[in-house]
Amino acid sequence: MDLVLQLLFTGIGIGAVYALVALGFVLIFRATNVVNFAQGEFSMVAAYLMVVFSVDLGWPYWLSFLIALAGMALFGVIFNLGVYYPLRHRTYLPVIIATIGASILLSNSVLAIYGPQPQVLQGWFDTPGIQLGPVYLDSQYLLIIGVTILLVLFNFWFFEKTLLGKKLQATSQDKEMASLLGISVSTMIMITFIYSAVLGGLAGILVAPVLFVSIQMGSTIALKAFAATIIGGFGDVAGAIVGGLALGVIETFGAAYISVPYKDGFAFLVLIAFLVFRPQGIFGERVAEKA
Amino acid sequence: MPLLEIRNLVVRYGEIEALRGVTIAVEQGQVVTLLGANGAGKSTTLRAISGLAKPASGDIMFDGHSIAGLGPEAIVRLGISHVPEGRRVFPGLTVKENIMLGASNRKVPASQISREADAMFDLFPDIRAFSNALGWTLSGGQLQMVAVARGLMAKPRLLLLDEPSLGLAPVIVQAVFRIISQIRKDTTVLLVEQNARMGLSVADHGFVLETGRIVLGGKPDELWGNEAIAAAYLGGHAKTHA
Ligand SMILES: Nc1ncnc2c1ncn2[C@@H]1O[C@H](COP(=O)(O)OP(=O)(O)OP(=O)(O)O)[C@@H](O)[C@H]1O
Ligand SMILES: [Mg+2]
Repeated sequence: MDLVLQLLFTGIGIGAVYALVALGFVLIFRATNVVNFAQGEFSMVAAYLMVVFSVDLGWPYWLSFLIALAGMALFGVIFNLGVYYPLRHRTYLPVIIATIGASILLSNSVLAIYGPQPQVLQGWFDTPGIQLGPVYLDSQYLLIIGVTILLVLFNFWFFEKTLLGKKLQATSQDKEMASLLGISVSTMIMITFIYSAVLGGLAGILVAPVLFVSIQMGSTIALKAFAATIIGGFGDVAGAIVGGLALGVIETFGAAYISVPYKDGFAFLVLIAFLVFRPQGIFGERVAEKA
Repeated sequence: MPLLEIRNLVVRYGEIEALRGVTIAVEQGQVVTLLGANGAGKSTTLRAISGLAKPASGDIMFDGHSIAGLGPEAIVRLGISHVPEGRRVFPGLTVKENIMLGASNRKVPASQISREADAMFDLFPDIRAFSNALGWTLSGGQLQMVAVARGLMAKPRLLLLDEPSLGLAPVIVQAVFRIISQIRKDTTVLLVEQNARMGLSVADHGFVLETGRIVLGGKPDELWGNEAIAAAYLGGHAKTHA
């Protein structure tokens, strides 16, 4: 029982990272109808920004954190203007290829600067964790879970309670109609890219101390996050969060009880099972109704 | 000076010439109805006015200024609100949210928009009870009411309505037209209809569009008076619709 609780904690912690990246996937998909294949690189770039400011320049952690997030907001603007905006009137295919191109460009640029050896980033706290009864709560996982809870609440408030959130939803449902009402579609899409870049960046910064900071971290996280969105129901915000958490828990339990080397395999086994038996995902029906 | 003046408007979709030199004028305070068969170019005319379709040549003057070539976001800010074919109510938003977004062309605080949306239900009492229902759950008539209410939230000087009666039961059509005759007190309306009888019943002036050209224009009784035209464009359609 103690082990179960311990695994649950770790699983939710890592699942929260998948959930944040999956949320970024879903928001961009809903706004542009395109899967952003560079979503994982958003996390990777943010983690390296932390390395630049916190490790290389030795600036305070909190300051580096704020600068890295601001950098990610700017990154979202540049990504939108450079990758999506010029192709916005084309079909989805050129846009998808452009995001794949951007992902390759980003990994290789970072590779050229930092080389293939992984970098190490400290966690936010000096204390490694606390013992709560039978469960050891790692401080970085606690931070990840805390930040994710806050972001999910913020996300709900933003999209359900503010007029700007409604305009973003309207834009993702019918761009032409939104523009007829005077909603600036290009501004809404810009906001979506900034928000998704910051979400992905947060995920990367938070998970970096748990993993290593490497060129591949982006694609690993993105693959899991993508699987999470399919498990949750593609295009569904709640589905992305539930799917991400579920995936984190499943792979943690699989690694503990079945096999560690096949840890990543469990995630994809679950993905395949969903694709075969419930392709619409957990929240799939709601998506179908909305469409 | 007419509020809206379209001169020799040509619009193409690739090879297809949908409008081949359309000229119409809409005076301030009027309801003008644009009639025509399927594919005549009625929707294209409205789409060109609201900026969704780019004119290949010709001009569109609103309040004395050319608006040809402006984007839809800019045009609705000038006071032209387009309620397009097919209602286009946002399926994942509630009725009230849909109506509130109609004010996106104006800079007013959200609290005031919310009050104005509530007041809109006085004009559309049938949808008041569905204020919190999502768009996709509504019936055709309810969708049409939401679409018109949303269009009015822009506080337009000119309202473009594209086939508001299409696919609605006769009672609902009458309700929609009752609302149009109420709107006309404050707003100039350019109405597109296939249902000639209904369309002309509220109109001060009518135009008949045929394959991208205006073939006839005049007061409603003049249009009814022209027997050959009435039979070809008005009578036939009025019968199939009613
Ligand atoms: N997006 C488009 N691409 C290509 N051709 C189009 C497009 N939209 C309209 N057309 C063509 O332009 C012409 C005019 O179409 P339009 O929709 O303006 O007619 P309409 O009078 O509104 O017809 P309806 O009564 O069926 O709504 C038609 O021949 C139509 O096939
Ligand atoms: Mg039409």
